Amino acid sequence: MANHVVEGEALLAAEVAEASALKKLYLQHEHLLIASTAVLAFFLTWESMTRFALVNPLFISSPTLVARAGYRLFAEGEIWKDLRVSGTEFIIGYLMAAGVAIPLGLAVGWYKRLYYILGPFIDALNAVPRVALLPIIIIWAGIGIWSKIVVVFLGAVIPMLINTFSGVKTTEERFLRVARSFGASEFKIFWTIVFPGTVPFIFTGLKYASGRALLGVVVGELYAATAGIGFLITVAGATFQTDKVFVGILIITFTGILMVELLNRVEHLFDEWRPKVGSAE
Amino acid sequence: MAKEERLLAAEMAEAPRPVRFYVENERAILGTIAVLVFLVFWEGLTRGWWYDLLGPILGARAERLKINPIFLSSPTAIAQAGYRLFAKGEIWNDLWVSGTEFFVGFILSVVVGVPLGLAAGWYRRFYYAVDPFLSALNATPRVALLPLLIIWVGIGIWSKILIVFLGAFFPICINALAGVRTTDARLLKVARSFGSSEGQIFRTIILPSSIPFLLTGLRLGVGRAMVGIVVGELYAATAGVGFMITVAGATFQTDKVFVGVMIIAIAGVLMTEALTRLERRFDTWRPKVGAAT
Repeated sequence: MANHVVEGEALLAAEVAEASALKKLYLQHEHLLIASTAVLAFFLTWESMTRFALVNPLFISSPTLVARAGYRLFAEGEIWKDLRVSGTEFIIGYLMAAGVAIPLGLAVGWYKRLYYILGPFIDALNAVPRVALLPIIIIWAGIGIWSKIVVVFLGAVIPMLINTFSGVKTTEERFLRVARSFGASEFKIFWTIVFPGTVPFIFTGLKYASGRALLGVVVGELYAATAGIGFLITVAGATFQTDKVFVGILIITFTGILMVELLNRVEHLFDEWRPKVGSAE
Repeated sequence: MAKEERLLAAEMAEAPRPVRFYVENERAILGTIAVLVFLVFWEGLTRGWWYDLLGPILGARAERLKINPIFLSSPTAIAQAGYRLFAKGEIWNDLWVSGTEFFVGFILSVVVGVPLGLAAGWYRRFYYAVDPFLSALNATPRVALLPLLIIWVGIGIWSKILIVFLGAFFPICINALAGVRTTDARLLKVARSFGSSEGQIFRTIILPSSIPFLLTGLRLGVGRAMVGIVVGELYAATAGVGFMITVAGATFQTDKVFVGVMIIAIAGVLMTEALTRLERRFDTWRPKVGAAT
């Protein structure tokens, strides 16, 4: 891919050198310009569809209506409670998942027999879409905040566990051999070789888990809740307040993008720690 | 690993027969025992075995070890419920509805996602235009759109088809895009040097080398589509396996809930496994990025 891009850019550079000032500006910012034009065109089409009464605003709302609803929700303060509830569910479930999955993943990766014992359960849970367990979780924990925390936990724990586990498993073989030859204790090997090599994998797991956790919050609240952003979306949908539905969806989208972006950065930070499997000296 | 295996071999040559058998099949043996222990423990919780056993020792505290089957069900109750559902034929309608939703939605997402992904990978400017939409929607859990979809198309089969479509579309489209973009640059350069047309390049170089990526996209799409089916049917439906799970949950038929969950898990595993096999067959077509000549 690298080659492909470089070649494209080289061609572009040649084009740019010969072009007029205006064209140069366009070519240099082509990506941004085309992208923002597309987004603008999308919003204009959407707005005009309801403005010119082509479609009932009940069905698709419109950007201005959505903006107004968003402003109202934040200004009148109704939304803060929902945000707080969803945020609490997300954070508690996610942290609990990390607290369980990372130590367990390290242990399962390090002790072969523990893996043999727990492997079937991890595989089984991984195969089940965890949201299908919602009706049972509701029976166990009610429709309050705890059922959502459990769903978030179950959603997030598996990717974290599997990534931590595979992190331990991809430890550089040569390091282990050298450490053992020089008589390092198993404990020392674990903390100085295995664990640092696992860190990037843990962050990858955390990244995937954030998506699953967000899904858990939304689905849990859609299904049965008393407050939260997902609940806001359901109630608004059931009462045909399409503008409010869009506000809720936008909040979730922003959260999703923000988290992916943030965790991508963190993941990148630790990328050098990743063991290079099968690399030459 | 190799060293460990050699050590194992040395140990084994001297070991008596039962030990040798255990060491050779350690993984299967430990796994089976763990699963059996789990199932017996579960069954015992609802049947009150542990209460009877530990009652004299623990006294009133053992009360906790006896759990109402409404909460947990039990392996035998689940097996019975599963047998009943299939034998009496109640489940076939649900399976058929969920299956239809899945296949129509999934096929739609392939039909739309693959060409769109290929086009976005091939035409730079088209990619610039669709990129913001792809990224934004890909970061949103698509199930949040459910209430909207229900307003648009009702609680029938089409809202589920749409949610399956939306779920599977993004992994498929994004992988198709990545497939085109990871084409071996040297092949492209050679083809261009020998004056082949863009159409020719696309058909003979780009398309074959993106096949493995397409298969990866399909495999990821299956998982998303399953989530879409379940959530869509949990939320609002009139039939389907997810609908059965909801109704059973709302009426405290926990055994039926577990049957539904297992059906979904097994369907997901079978399809993912099939696609993984297919993926492995085509893996040799994957371009080796940065490989030496």
